[in-house]
Amino acid sequence: MCGIIGYTGTRRDEALSEVLLNGLSSLEYRGYDSAGVAIANATVSVYKSEGELSELEETLPATTLEGTAGIGHTRWSTHGPPSDTNAHPHTSCNGRVAVVHNGIVENDQELRDALEADGHEFESETDTEVIPHLIETALEQGDEPEAAFRRAISQLEGSYAVSAVVSGHDAVLATRNQSPLVLGVGDDGYFLASDVPAFLEYTDDVVYLEDGQFVSITPSGVEISDEQGDLVDMPVETVDWDIEDAGKSGYDHYMLKEINEQPHALRECLRGRPRELEGSIEIDELEGLERPAHVHFVACGTSYHAALYGARLFREQGIRTNTFLASEYDVDSIPVDETTLVVGVTQSGETADTLRALRAANRIGAETLSVTNVVGCSAARETDYVMYIRAGPEIGVAATKTFASQQVALAMLSRALTGASSSGFIEALRALPDQVQSILDTSHAAAVADEYVDADAYFFIGRGYNAPVALEGALKMKEITYKHAEGFPAGELKHGPLALVTDRTPVFAMLPGDSTAEKMLGNVREVESRGAPIVAVTDVPAQLGSHADHVLEIPDTHELFAPILSNIQLQLVSYWVANRLERSIDKPRNLAKSVTVE
Amino acid sequence: MNDNDTTAIVLAAGEGNRLHPLTKNRPKPMLPAAAKPILEHVFDQLIDAGITEIVVVVGYKRERIQSHFGPSYRDVPLTYVTQDKQLGTGHAVLAAEAAVDGTCLVVNGDQIAASRIIRDTLEAHDTAATVALLQRSSVDGYGGVLVDEDRVTTIVEDPPDDREYLLNAGIYVLEPVAFDAIRAAEPRAGERLLVDGLSKLIEWGDVVRGAISEGFWVDATYPWDLLDVSFELFDTGLIDRQSTRNVHETATVHESAVIREPVIVDRDCVIEPGAVVGPNVCLGENTTVGSNAVVERSVVDTDTRIGANATVTECVTGTGVRIGQGSTIPGGPGDVRVADRVFENETLGALLADRVHDHGGVTYVPGTLVGPRTEIQAGTTVRGTLEAGTEVRS
Repeated sequence: MCGIIGYTGTRRDEALSEVLLNGLSSLEYRGYDSAGVAIANATVSVYKSEGELSELEETLPATTLEGTAGIGHTRWSTHGPPSDTNAHPHTSCNGRVAVVHNGIVENDQELRDALEADGHEFESETDTEVIPHLIETALEQGDEPEAAFRRAISQLEGSYAVSAVVSGHDAVLATRNQSPLVLGVGDDGYFLASDVPAFLEYTDDVVYLEDGQFVSITPSGVEISDEQGDLVDMPVETVDWDIEDAGKSGYDHYMLKEINEQPHALRECLRGRPRELEGSIEIDELEGLERPAHVHFVACGTSYHAALYGARLFREQGIRTNTFLASEYDVDSIPVDETTLVVGVTQSGETADTLRALRAANRIGAETLSVTNVVGCSAARETDYVMYIRAGPEIGVAATKTFASQQVALAMLSRALTGASSSGFIEALRALPDQVQSILDTSHAAAVADEYVDADAYFFIGRGYNAPVALEGALKMKEITYKHAEGFPAGELKHGPLALVTDRTPVFAMLPGDSTAEKMLGNVREVESRGAPIVAVTDVPAQLGSHADHVLEIPDTHELFAPILSNIQLQLVSYWVANRLERSIDKPRNLAKSVTVE
Repeated sequence: MNDNDTTAIVLAAGEGNRLHPLTKNRPKPMLPAAAKPILEHVFDQLIDAGITEIVVVVGYKRERIQSHFGPSYRDVPLTYVTQDKQLGTGHAVLAAEAAVDGTCLVVNGDQIAASRIIRDTLEAHDTAATVALLQRSSVDGYGGVLVDEDRVTTIVEDPPDDREYLLNAGIYVLEPVAFDAIRAAEPRAGERLLVDGLSKLIEWGDVVRGAISEGFWVDATYPWDLLDVSFELFDTGLIDRQSTRNVHETATVHESAVIREPVIVDRDCVIEPGAVVGPNVCLGENTTVGSNAVVERSVVDTDTRIGANATVTECVTGTGVRIGQGSTIPGGPGDVRVADRVFENETLGALLADRVHDHGGVTYVPGTLVGPRTEIQAGTTVRGTLEAGTEVRS
């Protein structure tokens, strides 16, 4: 998982490198352990370095950059550790060809052995480096650059978005297969990138390229062709993103900004969907989708936790529903047929594991639906139906507002497909934005964080609807604090994890005043007697607060929605622990926002 | 002067004590005026006057401002500067000094002034500082200015005598030297006032220009003023400049409900059968008016639910308020107590702060103030001031 950018046009030399660096800076959420750029003129100049983008900027010569075609890359390691040599772009033996790549070349070893047998020498441990050598081989056989690029790509197996420049040639060449690549059409040049924000400050006219298409951009024009080499005409779409949305607007971190944006995100998610006068929930984009016999949710990470929550609501409506980790879906022998609706929950819509699971479902002939935040993403284009969660851009690597919006979207979906919306459900749904705001107005999660910032580990427990949020609370804590955290359905605690509980491991208990309260109190006593501090997240502090060392209060709500509110308190605790520990909150080590490798 | 690239500093850090308890969870500039925050109207007028960059000084509950507006408004970039302690208008302006370059405009984030006044002030500016002035019968409670021709001779807060002061509209154009003057002026009781900086400029021999203008200018000092501010916005047509429809397309109004103009019914509102809304009503986003309820001359903030058969007249609500079935707010005039002062015969049915929850059949004596998160049991009659978070039983 990486981000790539390419540009050619009237901006040249330093202006060209500025386009590339700005693009990479907008793509940093995709990974950031190393970065590099290559600029082509009579020769190809490559600059790259380990670390964040600022390190690369320091290595760039201020005045001697010359050229009109350039590519850049920000990397998140899959093959080989982060280092200057493993950073992209990678070059061929004679340095004529430079390549950036997002994805994985699966037959890398085989190609590398063959190239080495032919006398090619490799500098890095990456799978990518075979590509420039393959291009060089084709060039030496007399191919023109476009043909050489095609011949090289035809030998690859795996997933990739690849972009290349060749010395003495003012084109940037690119293609994609199962990795994202978009083309930007500007007034003063053409852009290629893994994602739209990379060039949004220059143009909002975009072509979403399809798998197997090749594109060649030059200062004078663009050509898109299919696998056979026939030219294709692709629609240019205008995106309505606001580049300024990338600003932190006065907050220290995007994560805190996004936590505070949740009331607004939920308003957008709800807009026009609950129809209180009619007592129904309508999701316009799902017109024609009927109540399914079976539902399979496929998702990863935080989206998987939202799916676990959503699945409970579907089951409550009598629909046989299972949730699968997307990376396991295709590996396992899971019975799926035409009567199954497979729902991919993915914020970015580019998560490779989830796309793979959805593709498998499409092949079998199941109906597919993606629940996503990004209009025009791969998941949206490849499924039969798409429901947008409308959370707005999320920059912090740790998902916050998109999780809340996913939960609310799935709660609505469960009722929209079954036509079973009680007035209490709709009223409670419409009250959520204000209830989230009321938590933000009054939370003392920061004080709780101060109390337990030195803890050895953090445990999170919940039952029923609240079990997925216990998992999510722990994931958030791990992601941004780098501390050990685990979440369990509360009943599981005594079957093993209790051995880890000490007076230095606070336990966060989801204690809503619903039917699970009594059993939850039993679990709380189990940990209490081991001396662990208890933090209760509850809507009935007067009733249940006495069992806890600290109480994080949530407003009284429909029992289905307590987990949506509890999670806000848990996000704040994780944020403030990470803040006290001075972690890199928006870009935790080793993680990237959108995981586009399997 | 050329106003094409002037930066505006908007002072929005203060709490607004006299508007308590509505300001419990947000600063005064975020209180509603015609279904959107006062500050949004302020930005609209600045942008209409040609301002291309805005620096917002935030402090008290700053998250509410930052989350509402984000990094830009109507394509004008917003820069946020935090004033940790609110030590006066001069102190706030100094907090923004590093974020501006050259001439800047300063306005208050809680007073709505028509773009014409702003433009007049920018056009008159040709010295170290210019202040906008309005001719009003009284400047009681505001700043007063005396001029000689168009040159300011005296500028004070709350004039102590009855000379013919012009009203200081709280709109200033400043050159960098004015920042030095604010710094040089002696603080009073720990607070630095912007007007003391201007007095210092005059003392130094600099010319401070007074730009006499006229046009829409409102300020809500007390809770009941929020009703007048919204009604004045209705009268002058300053409402929702982007929309020509007063019932938003995502709102649903039952065919048997009655809407009496002027009203604003914002996004996702629901109006149930037989309800009567208006005239002079602003319903914030996602509010609900129950069957056969009657709402008149009221400002109802976001996410509020008015129960079936309730009567709501001359009422100001915060967010997430629940007025129960059959509750009655009969309207003013009434006596209102704010801190130690009693205001007699004010037009205020009741003020319900954020997340007040009445369980139905409640009667409000005119002038009642209810603090945030107060629970009022069914069938109660309430009067006077109810503190935050209390539970009221009959």
